[in-house]
Amino acid sequence: MVSEIQNSNPTILNAADLPTRLQPTLSCKPGVFGDGSFASTLSLVNTIELFPEGSYLSTELDSDDDLMEELIDRQEIYDLVSTISDPEHPISLGALAVVSLPDICITPTLPYVPDSPLRTVSVLITPTITHCSLATVIGLGVRVRLEQSLPPRFRVDVRIKEGTHSTADEVNKQLADKERVAAALENATLMGVIAKMLETCQ
Amino acid sequence: MSALQTFLLVVDHDKQEAKQIAEQIAQDVEAKKTTLIEVVQSLGEYINDEDPILRGKAVSYLTAVIKALPPKFLSRQQIQVLNSFFCDRIEDGGAVAGLDTLQKLDRFNKELAEEVVQAIFEHFQDLQSRSQSQRFQVYQLLNDLMSAHRSALYDMGDYSLVGMVDLMTGEKDPRNLMLVFSILKVVMVEWDITNHTELLFDSVYNYFPITFRPPPNDPYGITAQDLKDRLQECISSTSQFAPHSIPSLLDKLDSTSPNVKRDALNALLACINSYDPDTVSTYSITIWESLKFEILNAQEEFLSELSLQILQDIAKRLSEGVTQVSDQLPLAHYMRPVTKECNEQLREPQQKQARPAQQILRFISAASFASFTLAVQAVVPPLLTIYQEADGIAKQRALLDTLVVLFDAALELFGEWTTRTSEPNVDNPLLEFKDQFSDIFGQALMGVVKEEVSFRISALKGLLRLSTLRYFFQDNEVGLFVQYLDEILLQEQPIGRDDLKKEAIAALTEISKHKPRLIMDITFPAFVATLPDSDDGTNSNYLTTLESLAQISVEKDIFETLVRRLLSKLNILLQKEQPGSVAYPRAILVTILYVMSQRKMDQDPHLELYYDKIVVSMCRDVAASASGKAKNNILNDATVLDTLGRLCNLIVRSLPRNKQDEVAENVYTLYSATEDSSPVPFSHSASDDQLRTMIISTYILAGLPSDCANLPYTHPTMSALLFDIVKRSTTECAPATHLAFLRHLALLVNKFLPKSDLGIATELFDTLLPSNAEETTLRPESIRSIFWLSKALVLRLAPKTTDLLTSLLSLLSSPEEVTSMTAARGFSILLREDDVLSATNGANIRLLSKQRVFTTLLPLISGKIREVNVAGSDSPTPQHIKPAHLTALSGILSTIPPALVMPELPTILPLLLQSLDLQTSDSQSVRAATLETLAVIIRDNGVGVIEECGHVQSLVTRLLSTAEYKPASEKSVAVNSPRLRVNALKCLFLLAQAPSSDAPAVAKAGKLSPLLPVKAQVIRSLRFVLDDPKRDVRKAAVDARGAWLRGVDDAPDDDE
Repeated sequence: MVSEIQNSNPTILNAADLPTRLQPTLSCKPGVFGDGSFASTLSLVNTIELFPEGSYLSTELDSDDDLMEELIDRQEIYDLVSTISDPEHPISLGALAVVSLPDICITPTLPYVPDSPLRTVSVLITPTITHCSLATVIGLGVRVRLEQSLPPRFRVDVRIKEGTHSTADEVNKQLADKERVAAALENATLMGVIAKMLETCQ
Repeated sequence: MSALQTFLLVVDHDKQEAKQIAEQIAQDVEAKKTTLIEVVQSLGEYINDEDPILRGKAVSYLTAVIKALPPKFLSRQQIQVLNSFFCDRIEDGGAVAGLDTLQKLDRFNKELAEEVVQAIFEHFQDLQSRSQSQRFQVYQLLNDLMSAHRSALYDMGDYSLVGMVDLMTGEKDPRNLMLVFSILKVVMVEWDITNHTELLFDSVYNYFPITFRPPPNDPYGITAQDLKDRLQECISSTSQFAPHSIPSLLDKLDSTSPNVKRDALNALLACINSYDPDTVSTYSITIWESLKFEILNAQEEFLSELSLQILQDIAKRLSEGVTQVSDQLPLAHYMRPVTKECNEQLREPQQKQARPAQQILRFISAASFASFTLAVQAVVPPLLTIYQEADGIAKQRALLDTLVVLFDAALELFGEWTTRTSEPNVDNPLLEFKDQFSDIFGQALMGVVKEEVSFRISALKGLLRLSTLRYFFQDNEVGLFVQYLDEILLQEQPIGRDDLKKEAIAALTEISKHKPRLIMDITFPAFVATLPDSDDGTNSNYLTTLESLAQISVEKDIFETLVRRLLSKLNILLQKEQPGSVAYPRAILVTILYVMSQRKMDQDPHLELYYDKIVVSMCRDVAASASGKAKNNILNDATVLDTLGRLCNLIVRSLPRNKQDEVAENVYTLYSATEDSSPVPFSHSASDDQLRTMIISTYILAGLPSDCANLPYTHPTMSALLFDIVKRSTTECAPATHLAFLRHLALLVNKFLPKSDLGIATELFDTLLPSNAEETTLRPESIRSIFWLSKALVLRLAPKTTDLLTSLLSLLSSPEEVTSMTAARGFSILLREDDVLSATNGANIRLLSKQRVFTTLLPLISGKIREVNVAGSDSPTPQHIKPAHLTALSGILSTIPPALVMPELPTILPLLLQSLDLQTSDSQSVRAATLETLAVIIRDNGVGVIEECGHVQSLVTRLLSTAEYKPASEKSVAVNSPRLRVNALKCLFLLAQAPSSDAPAVAKAGKLSPLLPVKAQVIRSLRFVLDDPKRDVRKAAVDARGAWLRGVDDAPDDDE
């Protein structure tokens, strides 16, 4: 589709520096006893498994946890979109800083109806260069990913971050226009590109 | 009819007879019954015939006769005459073969060879219009002349060169080309080719790149790779080709096909390694200019790797014979633009192209000592300057990573402290920057905010490399780094995922291999000092310390020190009146256990010491503690005993035989003096504490060899002992003690009971489970004993295995729900891996036992369930029978390898689906086990097998309903725990995951996915699972939905 590489040498963030969710379990348990076989040697002794029924009891612990609800938050949205690959490079949008945690927000869609479960996710995209013609494709990719991965009560709003693109208004109009988005997704070549971008999503 | 006439008649259809005729004539010639002249004369009328086929046959006749003659028979003159004859007739069939026969003879000489070569060149101007086999014969003849009479050809010089090239130009057959390439290679290497370099080069390069693809069932077995290899040898054969080969190969890099580029790069690599260094030097910069692009904008990984390899090999070639590094070296000329480019790219080290620049640096600097020196001189000072001016930690970090790349190259060249090769006699150019490195990296590791984890990790990695680099750091400098690491581990609060601490431990472990002394002098005292005297419950930091100690103590000397220090800590604890929590002594024991299990104890020189200190004296303490004679009750704790038992087991297993005999005598007395000892078996008044010592006894027993003679209570038979143990195992007692009795029983029956005494075990079984079991009520303890006893027998495949299994199954039909369910869960005991009754401990585990259990039980369970299903809900069968059978099945499934399950899939799949339908309150674990089995089946075999059984729809529906979140409001509905939901989603994900890529695309094409009918249903249902309250479930749902959207293709569009 695009033969010329538009930005051949973008800046890349280190994978270890990207925002991640710290599993609460991680900090209390393996934090103390690492991974590897030492922990297994210990756990083997700590939870001496006496009878097969032992494992049957553990399910009760599960349902205790069950009561705690984990809401969909910004980090979760970030995790969904940051692993999408850039169409030009085999590098993730997160590492290229095209998407970033502070540029994601979740708001009630109907603030005047407090009980409404409807939510709007907005994601602002920062293209690597201001004249990147692939911005629309990236926006579409993010949109497709979120629409595939979020429950029906979520509305998705993807836009170019202000001041980061020369034709931001144009692109935003295109991304917000349902008809045009739908038409774009009918295009087999375009869908091929987007499918390739989404392949790396874990 | 003359021999010739007969020959002419049969030669077409009976080669064997023709050969015999010729042999007969040859014998006649040999016996002087006829002469060679007569034979030649007899050809007279035929060899001038109009018909070339007839002429050919006649010449073949002569060839066949000559071939049949003994090698020394022909005189020089005769050879000469025949040679001229064949040369005249060279175009006739058989003549080439005749010449080939002649040139093999001892009396064939150089002049004759020249005559043949000339004849070939003159007569075969049109060779390429002849048949493949004829051409092959000619090449074969030339090839043979080349090996036997090369000087003749060589002396003909340009004439033979041009002649051969002309002859072979236009050849297309792969078999012939193999010969052509090898003939021409000789010319290229040995002839003076100055006048015809380009001609010769073009004659082979015309074939580049080779696109040959062998036909299916090719009988000659020539692959494209064979041709590529030979062609490549030709191209790289002589430096004189360089003006032609290198530009042409570089041109090929403009190709759009990665395969062509690969061939070109491979050929280039071969050229660099075979051309002389001066030639390589001439083209080195041209090559760099072209390859730069391939690396910085890599299309394919393998192209960039090959290009890097070429750059490195150029540097290696240019380093040949270099002793003194100077600016005037060809190597320096070559490296100047390379390092310049790297410096430019590394100015912005976070950008994408910085990484390839690092790789270039890595490859080129690791080529030789000289190239390393030049690279370091050119790159390190600017890097250090940029580092000082860098405006952010992220940039500094990328610069540290670049330096680490250079350190890696240094390690490759100079080796580590443990490297055995001789010391390099070159100074390490990095030494000049040693202090700067120490400052920068030390500052980056210790002098920044603690939260900059990834930056500090980069610094740590750099220092670790410098510490292991041979002859670089002084011991005090490595010691400083070790102190940093200690500080990180002991004083810093954990941050995030705590990667830094993990790296620090790994680094200490690495250093312990190179500088064990430093670890013992610095790290050990620091760590041990933080260990408390006892755990008063306020903090459990000692766990971290012990863990670190355990991980860095793999090296021999350190290991011994560790064990000694920890044992003395433990002994102090045992003497205390107020020892605090038992978690601490247990953790100490776990640490020793962990380290010992990492080492080969049977080769340890201190094994006997550990035996005395741990097995003998600690067991004695255990016995004393059990009789209430200890200062505290540490050794009365079941978990402490369990750990100690494992430790003893490990040591006993490694002991020499005579020591093991000593151990055997003390299995029950635990080394206590006779008057104090109160062994558990046959004792009438054993207290709970005393019974608990069976934990230790069991582990020790497990470590002994099965033919151990000195076991107490085993003569003449162990009948009494077994009955005593069984009696105790069926009485109620603490769970840990109970388990020890069960394992003890299983060990004795499986490992120590002689085959001749198996009757005792059967008798035991019958006592525990009378044949009218369905009537009696069994206590859970008895049921467990029955299963452990059965486990011992089934694993050794005792003769009554089948009966045994059937009796066990009958327990499930007990009208008592408790009995039935306890027994159902017992089935997972049968084949489950056990730490005591294990192959490591020499248990008698027959390979086929798993298969036997499975194939015996599956039909019975399946039959029973069908029976229940048919009877329907109004039958008198109790409700719990079906769940009990499904539970038993899931217990067995969880303990056998999936390979055994596959052949039975049609039987088992309906049962698994029914398991997913279970709604009883304790069905969670059964359903979890079922999902795990299903996941393995689907992952290994794809959706195909499910489709063959016709269960796609029912499986998908059940998985979807298991994935659903149902609040636990109504008591009657079984809750799907988050784990179940995740596992169900995982199965859905695996279903849609495209079948493994080795399935040929052709097979898939045109066939609709069996999942297509349910796709809409899945996509719709999963959309609601995306709103699950648990994050893990949502994640699994996203993956599953993505896989279905991506992997399950809709009906193919017509417009494609």
